[in-house]
Order: sequence, then structure tokens, then C-alpha cells
Amino acid sequence: MFDVHEMEVNFGPQHPSTHGVLRVLLKVDGERIIEAKPIIGYLHRGTEKLFENMAYPQCIPHTDRMDYVAAATNNLGFVEAVEKLMGVTHMIPKRAQIMRVMMSELQRISSHLLWLATHAIDIGAMTPFFYCFREREQVLDLFEAYCGARLTLNCMRIGGMPDDLPPRWLDDLAAFIGKFEAAIDEYESLLTNNRIWKRRTIGVGVISPEEAIDWGVTGPPLRGSGVEWDLRRAQPYECYPELQFEIPVGKNGDTYDRYLVRMSEMRQSRRILEQCIPMIKGTPAGDIKAKISRVIRPPEGEVYHSIESPKGELGYYIISDGKSQTAYRCRVRPPSFVNLQALPVMAKGHLVSDLVALIGTIDIVLGEVDR
Amino acid sequence: MQVEYPKSEWTDKFLLLDMFEGLKTTFRELFKPKVTVRYPEERLEPANRFRGMFRFSFDRCIACKLCAVACPIDIIYIDVHDEQREVDGKMKKIKVLDRYDIDVKRCMFCSLCEEACPTKPKSIWLTTKTYELATYDRNDLYFNMQQLEYWDDRPRYEGLPEEEEHPRIEGGQRLLER
Amino acid sequence: MNPWMHYLVWPLVKFLVAFIIVQGIVAAMNWVERRLLGFVQARLGPNRVGPKGLLQIIADPVKFLLKEDIVPANAETIAYFLGPILPLIPTFLVYCLIPFGPPPTFVAARVNVAVLLVLALTSTGVYGIILGGWASNNKYSLMGGLRSAAQMVSYEVPFGLSIVGVLMLSGSLDLVKIVNYQADHIWNLFPQLIAAFIFFVAMTAETNRTPFDLPEADSELVGGYHTEYSAMKFAFFMLAEYSAMLVNCCLMTLLFLGGWTLAIGGYGLTTQTLQHMGIPGGMLGVLIFIVKVMTFMLVYIWFRATFPRFRFDQLMDLGWKWMIPLALANIVVTGVVVLLGQSLNFQGEVVLSIAGAAIVGYTLYNLRPRAKVVHASRVSEV
Repeated sequence: MFDVHEMEVNFGPQHPSTHGVLRVLLKVDGERIIEAKPIIGYLHRGTEKLFENMAYPQCIPHTDRMDYVAAATNNLGFVEAVEKLMGVTHMIPKRAQIMRVMMSELQRISSHLLWLATHAIDIGAMTPFFYCFREREQVLDLFEAYCGARLTLNCMRIGGMPDDLPPRWLDDLAAFIGKFEAAIDEYESLLTNNRIWKRRTIGVGVISPEEAIDWGVTGPPLRGSGVEWDLRRAQPYECYPELQFEIPVGKNGDTYDRYLVRMSEMRQSRRILEQCIPMIKGTPAGDIKAKISRVIRPPEGEVYHSIESPKGELGYYIISDGKSQTAYRCRVRPPSFVNLQALPVMAKGHLVSDLVALIGTIDIVLGEVDR
Repeated sequence: MQVEYPKSEWTDKFLLLDMFEGLKTTFRELFKPKVTVRYPEERLEPANRFRGMFRFSFDRCIACKLCAVACPIDIIYIDVHDEQREVDGKMKKIKVLDRYDIDVKRCMFCSLCEEACPTKPKSIWLTTKTYELATYDRNDLYFNMQQLEYWDDRPRYEGLPEEEEHPRIEGGQRLLER
Repeated sequence: MNPWMHYLVWPLVKFLVAFIIVQGIVAAMNWVERRLLGFVQARLGPNRVGPKGLLQIIADPVKFLLKEDIVPANAETIAYFLGPILPLIPTFLVYCLIPFGPPPTFVAARVNVAVLLVLALTSTGVYGIILGGWASNNKYSLMGGLRSAAQMVSYEVPFGLSIVGVLMLSGSLDLVKIVNYQADHIWNLFPQLIAAFIFFVAMTAETNRTPFDLPEADSELVGGYHTEYSAMKFAFFMLAEYSAMLVNCCLMTLLFLGGWTLAIGGYGLTTQTLQHMGIPGGMLGVLIFIVKVMTFMLVYIWFRATFPRFRFDQLMDLGWKWMIPLALANIVVTGVVVLLGQSLNFQGEVVLSIAGAAIVGYTLYNLRPRAKVVHASRVSEV
């Protein structure tokens, strides 16, 4: 008649571990997952449609609100796409470029810190959560000192940056990155070697490189599977070619590898910031904006530009009709949305407890998934 | 670059050294300074560029409406009429502001209006270092130009305790202390 | 003495006094735990109600009493009500059996099979949790209840087995005699190091504490078996959990840490010395006992602050594949050493103590501050 062993469980949207309003419809046999089906759309705000109705500079604060824990990289992707459409990419002053890199690397650190905090608390270790937030708060202080906002930064403009760095900002940054290495060591002392953490993560949610590429997975989940693909290297933008950094990759493609990759990335971001400080001191102060017209009216055409956001490849596809100040169409390729597709593949055959770890390891932000 | 996996010998595993490593970290943290700010008694001083509540200056404003145009969500409402006025002995036609309202409850504090403002110093600015905007009525967050200019004198709600002077912590100082 | 007084009134009075004190400690523990967790996590913890937040101890129960008591639709009403009450009864009953100080004054009921009785009583606590989880008509609660059932049943076994070594050494099931034995020889912690470890792990699992808090698992099961419970019913679950923690810590102290005595080889504060000192001596014994119990409670909190949570199948693995064989091996080794000691005329517990001390020493040696640990992800930069 019917299979009595299966049970359907609604995991979310009001669940503490779904990082917002993700809903996963689970078919479970006891605690073992037979099928996991993510259902999205609870945070849909029509951002792409909004972009069609407002001038390009006005879109920038709206991009903040997609991946709201990594606003700077969202800004960066959008302004670069528009600059590419206008053909002014080469005109961006050096200082603005370095500042953009600094902002996005700081943002990568803060986003990864938030990821670690939530991932750890999902798996049951509650203390790293507070340590991560302690350090993240300092990154947010730096953002606040630069642009006045802590989360929704709105810190980039088409053609440059809105403002020069405030006095003493570089000293504060140096103080922060000086202490940050020890902070990462502290998190790792709680987790990396811990046998419970290893048991909970090793072999959980394994995704092979082929599968990862087939599903379009990017960012740390792809690199965790051993594919050395980072847009900062593969399609360099801003001043990344001049910077020394490594792209950490994993081997097994499980949750533990993705954890190690992200921890390494934080250290690499710190290293990039370290190199940026002397670089920016060598550029003239105040030279932060390209000389482009105040009214942004790109020529007719279309452009796809993508950058490496903390979560993966963040792309903007913009069509301009050449007449108006608004985009004809703007499509966003959010990394979390694409990475989330791999969740059913990863979750199959695991336990309910692992689903929590998997949602954490994909590092989704629902604002970006639903847009 | 291939990430490296931690290696441990079997004796380390047998003696649960990995567990003790974590216990050591949490024990050390027990004696480190705490970062909690006890909010109403201690308040954080925002950074100089902090985007908080608006402030408007009627005298500086030239009624050019650039801020309203820059606003991504159109929450700045401006009405203007022309007037003949005597400036330096000549009759001149100037714009006079009738209405300058901001619907702050919908604002996302992007500060594009401040950037768009052509006057020097700015006639609309957000660097007031004020972040305590909560009200009991959503309509209280609709500000007209008098309110925008003089919101410091806004009447307090009845029944609330008198506001005390609390020690403020400097933003930059806070970062270095940690 | 009047037999009525001796067998009914005095034990009842003692039990009530013990009950009130223990409940006070349980309420205080909640505050201590939150405060300590706060300190470990770079924050302050509850500090608003009263000086240093101390009145939180009163504020919490008051809040629980005043909250609306919600019964979910389609809940099995009787079972739903029984759920929080059932775990409470056995944990309270156990306080009769636990000697808090030197006998006879500080023991409500001295039973010669106290260890067995305590084990029997504490293991019934799980029924309330299963019942509550099932009756709330919620899939998460059901999963929590089932996890709890499997976990408690499988950890009963190492819990009981780890005590066997202690019983073999002391030759009695009477808690007072076990304590006296330790005062006359050495704390069981050393000869029975492995057993003490297993006992501690098993009791953490029994009381659903981190890293074994799977039945609650707030990030997976949204609270597990008590998801649907609110107000005083929820408080009953918490009360039962903390009471069970305290009972287990008392047992740990009595079985492995010499209870109220502070003696080795018969020298120091043994039961006899304390008894000779009269009531002040008894009070001193209780104080020593409470200090030891609190140490273990603090270790509970310390664990909670540090470790992630096990997965369900891994928990079973640990219980059945590691804890039980280890406990059995411990029984065999203890038995052999004790027998050999009897026939070859040496003291078995001394040999075992040396082995235990060696393990502790070697661990401490390995824990010494060494050259800075280079973490995996850090290697890249060198």
C-alpha cells in the first residue's frame, strides 16, 4: 500500500540552521536522508527588476542587499560590469584599484568569519561563534571608519571610490592584520585537530571535481574538490596580477577540505592586505576617481563580468539600450544560488545532522539566492 | 596550492591531546578581557563618517533637488516655488523651499543624497553620529524640514526615564584597545 | 529511639533539607553556567538582574511560571503532561540515597546496595523524555525522543560496567563503605583511571550534555524532545537535566574521588576523624564533598564551551565499539591484578595506581608548552 518507513520533514524555513529562510523538504528513513529538495524564494525581492528601473549609481546600494554579509564584493562586481560596458576599465586610478582590492579582501575575511561562526555553531561548537564575531567586529569597524556603514557598505562608485581613506585607517588595518593570524590559530586550535570536528566533517558531502563542475559549483566548494579555479587568477581584475597569493585547494571534496580551504583563504587574504599597505602608500592621495561623466549612460551593448566573491563566482550580465540611464536588463549570477543546487547531491544518504553541516559548508546567503 | 592535513601520532590520539588543545584554548580565554558593551550605560561612539540620522540646513539649501534625484528609493519629497527677492540691490528670481520631507522609515542610509548635494558645506548630511532612531509610532519617522533641522529638540516620550550622560567610547580607540 | 522517628521522620527531614539545598544549587548552577560560558566566549553573560546578575536565579523561575503554557494541537495530552514529570521523580528520589557527608547524620537512607539502586533509579529518567518527545506530535521532538532513547540505553551499559572495577576493589555496594575504602587506600581515580574516564563520558551522555547533546541538538532538531514544551513544563525538563547532572557528579565524587574524605592510606581527614569532630567535622565533610562535586560541574560547563556535537551514529560507535570493550578490558585487568595481589601478597590497587599515574603523567608531559603548533593552512606562507 504505502511505504511506512519514509517520513517527510520540513527543514525550515523557520529553522535555526538554514541561514535565513531556506526550506529543505526532506524525505527521511529514520534519520537517513533519501531525498532533499531545497525550496527557495522566501526572500525574493525582485532586485533584478529593480535594476531596470533605476539609474546605474542608484543600483549600487541595492547590490549590497543581495549577499548582505559580503557587500563590498557585490558592489565591486556591479561597478566593474558597468565600467566594462562603458569601456572605462583602464581609466580607474591605481589608488582606487588598490582600495577596491583591500575592501574586497577585508570583506572576504569578514564573510569567511561569519561562515566559520555559523558553521561551527551548527555542528555544535558554540564558542568559535563568539570568537569569530569578535574579530569580524573589528573588520566592520574598519568599514565603518572608511565608508560610514558596517554591513550594507555602498562603498564603491562607477569610475572609482566615493572617498579617500580616512587618516590613521591604514594604521588600524595594520594593527588588525597583525593580530589576525593569531586569531585564526585560535579558531583552528578549537576545531582543526578536534576529533569530533573531524568526524563530523571528513567524508561528509563529498563532491567530485567532475560533479562540481557539472553543477556549476564555484568558489571554495569547487576548490575543496581540488579544482584550482579562482577568478582572481583565471580572469584577473583590478590589481590582482601584481599581488602574491596562493589559491588553496583541497583533495577529497568533503566538508573538512572546504573548511581547510576557507581557513587558508583567510590567511591568504591577510597576506594580500599586507602587500596592499605599502602599495597604497606609493600612490597619490585623493586620486580615487576616473574622469568620467557624472551621468552614466553606457553605449548600446551587453556585458557579462564576474568576480570572485567570498562564496564563488559572482557575475553581472547587463544589457544597455544606449539611450537611457537605466539598464535594459540586469541579471545576476549569484554563487550561493548555483552552489545550492549541489545540496541534494551532497545530502543524499547522509543523516539529518549532516544536512546542517552541508548547508553550512556551502555557505549560502538567502538574500543572494532569492534576490 | 594543496592544503595540508594535520598529522598526529597514535599516542596523541590515544591521550586525547586534540581535545585538550581545545580545552586549553577555552581556559585561556576565560581570563582575557571581554568585549561586551553594556549598551545603555556604555555607548559606542561611531566613526566620523558613520551614516546615521539626517540633518538638514534650510539656509544652505539651494533647492536644486539633486538629492531627490539621487535617492534610489525616492523618499525625499521637495516642493519649490519661485520668488522675486532683492539680492545685492537687484531683484532676482530665486527658488524657495516649501517642503523638504524625508521618509526616514524607508531609508537605507546609502548617503547618495549627501554625495549629490552641491553646496559647501553640505545642506543634507548623515554624519550626525546618531543611531538611536527607534520610535513607538512609525509615523514619527516621517520628518519634515523643521524636524530635520531641529530633531535634537524633539519632545521625549512621557514615562521614559530622563536620559543620563553616559561615558562614550571612541570608535578608533576601541579598535586599538582590543 | 522511637522507631517511627528513626525510620520515617528523620530520613524525611534529611531528605527535605537535602532536596532544598540541592534545588538551590541546581538553580544557581544555571546562572554559573551561563556566566562562565559568557566569560569563556569573550562576553559577560547575565549581568543585569541584581548584583552581578545573581538575581537571575530567581528571575528565571519567575519567568517560567508566568509564561503561557501551550499544549500543541493533537498532542497526546496525558503523555504530554507526564513527559516532564517522569524524569523529575527518580532524580529527586536519588537524593535519599546519596551520602552528602559522614554517616549517620548526613545520610538520609543508608542502603547496602545503594549503587545498584541509584543506577536503577537514574536510568528510568529516559522514559519521560521519550514520552514527551512522542506526545508532542512533532517530528523533531519524535526524533529527539528516539535519539535520547538509543543514547541512554546504550550508555547505561558502559556506565554500569565502569563501576564494576570500583566495586571489585572496595568489595561493597554501599556508598559509605566505598568512600571509607578510598580514604583508607587511595582515591579510585588513580587505580581506575580508565573506568573514571568511561564513567565521566557515559554520565555526560546520560545527561544529554555537550558533546552528547543530540536529543536537544538545537541547531539540528530545534530543541529536540522539548521543542513543544513551554513555561513550567520546559522548566521541569531543565530541572531534571540539571538535577541528573548533580546526581551524576555526586556519584563520580563518591566512587572515584573519595566523597567527603580528604585522606590517602588512612591518613588525613577520614570518616572517623570527621566523626570524632562532631557536627563541625560533618559540616567540613559536606563542604569537601560540595567542592568536589562543583569541580565536576565546572568540567561539564568547560566541555560545553569547547566541543562540537557528535553525530548520532558516531555516538553509537563510540558507545558500543569503544566504551564497552574498554570497560570490559578494565574489569578483566582489575580482576586479574586484584586476584594476583591476593595470591602473591601485594597490593593490587598500588600497581593499578602506578599505571594510572603514568598515563596522567605522560599526558601532562605531552601537553607541556611546545614549539608553536603550525596549523595546516598556515604552512603555505612559509
